[in-house]
Formats: sequence, C-alpha cells, structure tokens
Amino acid sequence: MRIKSRRTRKELLTSLLFVLPGVLLTIIFVIYPVINTFWLSFNKWNGVGGSAVTWVGLENYTKVLTSEKFWNSMLNALYFMIGGFVVLMPIAFGMALLVTSKMKGTKFLKASYLMPVMLGTTAVGLMWKFMLNADFGVLAQALRGLGLGDWVINWLATPTVNIWCVVLVNEWMYAGYNMLIFAAGLVAIPQDIHDAALMDGCLGLKKLFYVTVPMCKNMFMVFSVTCITGCLKAFDIVYAMTGGGPVETSATPAILLYSQGFQYKLMGRSSAISIFLLVLGLILSLFLNNVVFKQEKN
Amino acid sequence: MNKNRAKRRFKKGLQYFVAALLAVITFFPLVITLLNSLKSNDEILLGMFNLPKVWQFSNYPSAIATANAVGSITRSLLVAIATLVLVIVVALPGAYAIARKSFKYLKGTYILFMAGVMVPVHCTLVSINRMANVVSGKNNYIFLVLVYAAFNLSQAIFLFTSYIRGIDRGLDEAAKIDGCGDTQILVHILLPLCAPIIATEAILVFIYGYSELIFSLILINKDSLYTVSRAMLNFTSNYTTSYGPEFAFIILSMIPMLIIYLILHEKVAEGMMAGAIKG
Repeated sequence: MRIKSRRTRKELLTSLLFVLPGVLLTIIFVIYPVINTFWLSFNKWNGVGGSAVTWVGLENYTKVLTSEKFWNSMLNALYFMIGGFVVLMPIAFGMALLVTSKMKGTKFLKASYLMPVMLGTTAVGLMWKFMLNADFGVLAQALRGLGLGDWVINWLATPTVNIWCVVLVNEWMYAGYNMLIFAAGLVAIPQDIHDAALMDGCLGLKKLFYVTVPMCKNMFMVFSVTCITGCLKAFDIVYAMTGGGPVETSATPAILLYSQGFQYKLMGRSSAISIFLLVLGLILSLFLNNVVFKQEKN
Repeated sequence: MNKNRAKRRFKKGLQYFVAALLAVITFFPLVITLLNSLKSNDEILLGMFNLPKVWQFSNYPSAIATANAVGSITRSLLVAIATLVLVIVVALPGAYAIARKSFKYLKGTYILFMAGVMVPVHCTLVSINRMANVVSGKNNYIFLVLVYAAFNLSQAIFLFTSYIRGIDRGLDEAAKIDGCGDTQILVHILLPLCAPIIATEAILVFIYGYSELIFSLILINKDSLYTVSRAMLNFTSNYTTSYGPEFAFIILSMIPMLIIYLILHEKVAEGMMAGAIKG
C-alpha cells in the first residue's frame, strides 16, 4: 500500500513536470495577455513604457462602437465571409469533386491546387499587388489589349473594390486548403450510396444536389465555422496588399486594431477592439457549434 | 445510345477543361512573377505580360545585396525550426501526461490548452508588446520563438493527445513492469511510435513560423533582424524605383517552401487536414 502511494506520488510529480512548460507558455503568452488586454481596454495609454495608464471606464468601447471606421472594418469582414460562401466554397467543392473523380492526374491536380497555401501570405499578397497594378499590372495590360482601357482603375486604391480584390486573392490562396476538407468528406461517402443512386437513376446534377452535397453536410459545417470565425481574423493578406488603406477603407477589424495601437498609439482603443472581437468570435463559434450544428446532428 | 455517349464525352471533356483551367489560374501568378523577376525595370513598366527581351539575371544578386534576401530567409528558416523543436519538446510530454495519467487536474490542463484555440492572435498584440518592452523582448529571437510556440501549442497538444490515446496501453504497461519510468516510456516507446504525427505537426509549425507576419511586425524593428515577410514588405515599399529585384525577392522567399512541398506534398496535405478538422 505504501509503496503504491509513493509510486503514485512520483507519477503525480512526473506528470506535473511534463505539463508544466506548456502550461507556463500558455498562461504567460496567451491567457495573461488576454486578461491584460481586457484591463487595458478600460484605460488610456500611449504604449510608451513609463507613461501613465489612466482609467477611462467604457470610453474606449463607446468610441469604437460609434466610429465609422470600425463599422467599415466590420463590413469588410462581412465581405470576407460573403466571399467565402459565394466564391471560395463552390470553387473548393468543385476542386474536391475533381480530385476525387476517376479522371487522370488527380494526384497532380490535388498537389497543384494546394500549393498556394505554402507560399506564405506576404509573398502571395505582394505578387497579386503587382499583378493588380494599374500602370503595368497583368490585369490592366490585358484589359488595354482588349480595348477596354476605360475599365482600368487603381483597383487597390478604390474603396470597396480594394477589399474585394483582397478577398478574391484570399480565395485564390485558400481554395486548395478547403478542397482538402471537402475531399475528405467525398471520399468518406460509402460506395453503397453511389450504387443506390445509380440504381434509382439518380445521376449528374440531380445526384450532386440530392446525394453528394447532403452526404458532405459535416464538411460544409466545418467550412462554415472556419469561414465565419476566420473572417474576423483576416490580417496578413490585407496588410501585404493594401496595408488597410487608403485611409483604412480596406481595413479589417484586425488591421484596425493594429493601426490604432501601433500607428496612432491608442492602446486602449486597440484593446477594446480586441476584446470585442474575442467575445464576438466566442459567441459565434459557441452559437454555430451548439445551436446550428446540434440541430444538424439530431 | 449514341447521343448518350456523346454527352458523356462532352462531360468528360468539360471536366478536364475545368481542372486544367483551375491549375492554370493557380500557377499563373507564379509564372508571371518569375518572368518579371528576370526583366529590367523599363521592360516591367511596359507591362508584366511581355516576355523578357533581355534576361536580367542580375536582379537576383541585387535583391540579395540591397534587401539582404538570403539573410532574412535564413533567419526565418532558423526561427521556424527553433519554433517547431520547442513546440514538440513541450507538447509531447504534456500530451503524454494528459493521455495516459488519470489525475484530475490534467482534465483542467487540457481545457486550458484547448481554450488557447479560441484566442485570436491579434487580441494579445498590445499586451505582448507591452510585455516585450518590460523584459527586453524586442528584437529578441528567443522571445519571438516563445510567442510562436505558445500559439502553436493547443494544436500540437490536441493532435498528440488524440494520437497517443490511439496507441495500445499494453506497451506502456509492459515497459512499466520491466521497470521503465515515464520518461523512458515516452522516449523509448512512444516517441518512435508517434513519429508520423510529430512529422505532421512539425510541417504545420514550420509553415507558420517561416511566413508569420503579425508578431514579427510588432516585435522586430531592426532591419538587420527582419524575418522574410517583414524584409519583403519593407523592400517593396522602400525601393519603388526598381521592380525587378522586388520580384526576385518574392521568388527567392518562396523557394524553400516550394522545395519542401515538392518533396513532402502528401505529408503537407495530411497535416493540413489534421489541422483543419480540429477547428
């Protein structure tokens, strides 16, 4: 008995040592910063070490929630989400259908479609920024060549157009990644169901919409959750392509909190945006996972 | 019958056409960037579509000399490798304890790690910046790597824990009877068995670490220490008079990842899939 308890005590100690480094890293760099940001969101601070941190109560939140810039950034996040459902989802699903079909070269296609994710967001953003240049870019040159020179505008400097350019580049980059999710769903459909559909004479588009898509419901759910919660987080691609400009017309909430904090030195304002995003993200993901998703399961 | 066959052939043709079109759209920007990295500035200004008339290979040495392209790429590679090693060294023992021991506090620990998934990176920027100022973590790669590792832990713990749970406990028990302690079980028995999931996670962390942008923006401000994303952004906004070297830098920055992808594309797909399902 005594030996056993000594052994469990030793085991307890080892297990503590095993999890400790991870727990410390998470508390120091993830949990504590969130708590600190929460506290800062009620204060005014210019980010300089020695300068005063003054309590202002809810002022940061009221300022943020009444600012046009903030709601414009939320609208841009919404464009990211719309783009995700209208452009990214059909393309990714189409790619998944192709790479799981019986055609030749599916391995090559799969590897090609996935490739853009590897390139790094900054490199992708810069590549497209040049391609969309109004003076010498590919699109401008192509339009001029077709005699549509009037259509050439400075896309990345035109409000609303610029954010949609970024959204489309984002879809270019992540189509292959989302293809993987759908392909996993397609592969998991049992052969019996294909056979049954064939027996019933259910083919082509009819089969696609009445058999294949419903059978991949879970994958559409996974996609929806990542798309809806992910649209609030878009940063890198926007930063590389437009920097959120001009005058923050293409800023997403993440870009806005960066510029408020690190360009305008409004740390409190930036923290308020952070906390708002964190809470909104939590609510959305809890809602999607427990309300929408649960109904699907029943 | 004949009509049906024609229809089927048409469908098949359409399928190949769409597949090829998507592949062309995927590769097109790369090809264009590559071509323009070999043109002189005057030729680029005439339009990106044109093929180079004079092949300007000197853009590459020029990107390396003026933007320190190779230096920043090397730094990013080292940061990525350091991050992945740290993540694995920290996450594997943690996951082992969570998967194999039944102490009550471990459940709470697991929840703590999983809560990490819910925290968006940019919600911590202001505080991490503040912390960096206090502990002189600015322009400090150790601090940067610690931050990167912290934000990759949840995923690693999740993947490792579920993988270890899938490994037969009988092996551990047998080793325990032979007098092996936890550390020995982990190193000699589970480590080799976990090799596939470790490789998967390593690839994911590597991709993250190499191209990470937001933390390197706030934590590194000396240009001699810029990571590749940062150096590239800086170069393209400062030297707007010569585009050729900028294109060359973009191509150079993509080479390490493309080489890895060429060799490991199946493993990458597998890893991305494992990472995606978690969410």
